Amino acid sequence: MSDNKKRITITVDPHLAAYAEQLVDAGKAESVSAAFNDAMAAKRRREQHALALLRERAAQADPHRVARLRKHIDAQARAQGFQVSTGE
Amino acid sequence: MSDHVPTPFILDVGVLTDIARGDIELIGLMQDYDRTGQPLVISALAAAGALLDAEGSEASALLAGLGAFEHAQVAAVDGVEQAALLAQMIARTGLDPWNAHVAALADLATCPILTLEPDVWAEPSAALDEPLHVIAIADPEQ
Repeated sequence: MSDNKKRITITVDPHLAAYAEQLVDAGKAESVSAAFNDAMAAKRRREQHALALLRERAAQADPHRVARLRKHIDAQARAQGFQVSTGE
Repeated sequence: MSDHVPTPFILDVGVLTDIARGDIELIGLMQDYDRTGQPLVISALAAAGALLDAEGSEASALLAGLGAFEHAQVAAVDGVEQAALLAQMIARTGLDPWNAHVAALADLATCPILTLEPDVWAEPSAALDEPLHVIAIADPEQ
């Protein structure tokens, strides 16, 4: 956790605000801000873990097969009048 | 400024199931699309359907990772109006709720559906006023 904090104003569900206050009262969070900070940090960690797992799998893919699949998909999309990313 | 705006691809349940099972070629394909700015849409209902077939924490982590891609968007059923459209789609096409949400998104936004089984979409598509746009994920060399 960083010591350098940024002040923001957020609007949250009442039951989550109550839960954050409960964590503070129980000594499990330093403050309501810290509770929300921790929750966002945990969400970020989960997302990064998920992305890392996906990228690890993607790295095992055969790039030639991926290119063939993509070319075939893009051709079908264009034939149906859709724009696709150019890959550049 | 370029007016090139890629049309989002909507992933059906079969594609999401294989990604959740760790299909490396499909995952590689999705990452390649994300790398080049191709928008991908993941129906939250379709993800639920996929996770029924591919259980486990790794399966949900793989779909969560897909949803976290820069150019991927997870689409939920938002409000009663969208729920009614979904119900209508189920009634008209006979699709399960998971793929019916994929169809509803595709129909509403006029976006193509990416699928491994294009034949599965023929009948539901024929039941609609405007046919769905379906794109097969297939290797022409196999």
